[in-house]
Amino acid sequence: MLIEVEGLTKVYREERGLLPTSFTAERGELIAVIGHNGAGKSTLMKMLAGWLLPDNGEVLVDGITLKDRTALVRKVGFVPETPSLFDFFSVEYNFRLFARLFRIPRVRIEETLRDFDLLPYRHNKIRVLSKGLKQRASIGRSLLADPPVLLFDEPTSGLDFDMTNEIYRLLRSTHASGKTILFTSHRPEEIRSLATRVLLLHQGRLVFDGPPRDYFRSTIHGDLYV
Amino acid sequence: MIRNIITLTLNDLAIACKNKTVYLVLFIPLFVFVSLNLVDQKDGAVKQVRLGLIGQEHYSPVIIESIEAADAVFAVSWLADETEGRAWLKEKKIDGLLLRSEQDPQRVELLVPTRASFQTLAIVEGLSAMQLASDGESGNWISAIKPLQNVAVQKQALPTWVLMLVLLVSCIIIPGQVAEEKEKKLLLGLLQTPMRESEWLLAKLASGMILIYLAVLFLHLLGSYDPGNLLSYGAFIGVGSFCFCSFGILLGFLCRSQASARTLGIIFYLPLLLPSALADVSQKLNRVAPFLPSYQFYGPVNAILLEGGSVENFSPELAYLLFVGIAALSAAYRLMKERWLM
Repeated sequence: MLIEVEGLTKVYREERGLLPTSFTAERGELIAVIGHNGAGKSTLMKMLAGWLLPDNGEVLVDGITLKDRTALVRKVGFVPETPSLFDFFSVEYNFRLFARLFRIPRVRIEETLRDFDLLPYRHNKIRVLSKGLKQRASIGRSLLADPPVLLFDEPTSGLDFDMTNEIYRLLRSTHASGKTILFTSHRPEEIRSLATRVLLLHQGRLVFDGPPRDYFRSTIHGDLYV
Repeated sequence: MIRNIITLTLNDLAIACKNKTVYLVLFIPLFVFVSLNLVDQKDGAVKQVRLGLIGQEHYSPVIIESIEAADAVFAVSWLADETEGRAWLKEKKIDGLLLRSEQDPQRVELLVPTRASFQTLAIVEGLSAMQLASDGESGNWISAIKPLQNVAVQKQALPTWVLMLVLLVSCIIIPGQVAEEKEKKLLLGLLQTPMRESEWLLAKLASGMILIYLAVLFLHLLGSYDPGNLLSYGAFIGVGSFCFCSFGILLGFLCRSQASARTLGIIFYLPLLLPSALADVSQKLNRVAPFLPSYQFYGPVNAILLEGGSVENFSPELAYLLFVGIAALSAAYRLMKERWLM
């Protein structure tokens, strides 16, 4: 078992958030975490990434707990909805900064720039890049340390058709390289074409856990979305 | 058109409320009012002034009798010689030292730490009043007022400028930077690396302290000001910048956005700066200011720069600044661990 989530809980003042949630994920799964706005998707992702501290519960990734953050970050890469990159610096500067903090050799920066077609933009400041390129740089940044688990929060939010397809291609190729991926989504076509498993959150509870085919055949999709 | 302007104006006002800018509008007049009340001494209740006299000196008997009779105004300390008197002045054990005038033995010279202080004014006023009561002449018992260190007026203002620079970096720049990293989720991004929270805090502290050292160095280079005891001066700038930068980091953690952090920074900037810088000209402010960390920084820097003081004379101030800095940094660490407002 690569990821074990046990009773993970985070409740905000407005009684929104994530109620006690448990699930496990095997190596190589591509899991879509879906649900309406406020269902607890981003809260779950942020807790798995260590951005939010849970009220209760535990997460183990490859045997490492959330409390051991400095070890966990080598196992989990997180691509937030808005890239957390220093936008007044270049793509390469950002990669170098994060590579230094991870103690990653410089050759890995070159590999990542090449893999993500960012070589022509390496000296461009993040703030002048298009949203799609920013997202690509953000994914590249999170893959610098080559973590086995990748979390994407709304990876195609606000992207046009071409950029969305580009992100799908990146997700598939990253998954094909053996990574375990969890991504949040609202788009049925995204779930159908990418996911190997669906976790449906509704009002902070996990109400469905299974393959996409079963999800779309079940009444739950119709009840909540149609 | 007018409707849009009104809508947008209301929106701007709502933003000002949301990012706490409106607090400045309320706070600055309130602060000015309180400060002016502290500076303005309408009640005339001047506390006793501590005056030093040299035991071996042959003062005019009239002056000595008058001073000793006015024990409500002057607390007299008899000192062995001028060297001891100067030492007492440096250590702020007395507010002024009377020396016999070399030109006119019937008059005295007043030696004070700084000319522009309410203590100096109180001594001059007191002696003038006694002279009038004693012999009714319009002359003056005081032939000259000399500062302890004969420094240029420009240099006398230097400690205030140094305090301003330190507070500018620590109360305005640092909180803004911290809040920006929080607002843009850059800090959370950095926490996605094996970097420890304490490393980030120390790096932020170091960058603030370097900025302060650079600003102070630049100021000295521009004005060609002699820093006096360089080691003591450097040590106090270091401890002061540690204290205030830690405080600035804490302020940044208390805010969700850059705009809030800047507002909060200004709210702390003025009360830290003005009472300390104006303490010499107001008796009330002089009583309030020692509670502020800025005064514990300003006083020793002032003494080191203008009176040739040394760091070993200011151990309590040093300990106070270190304590405040460590407390602020610990609180910031706690908030960072809790992912406060991130």
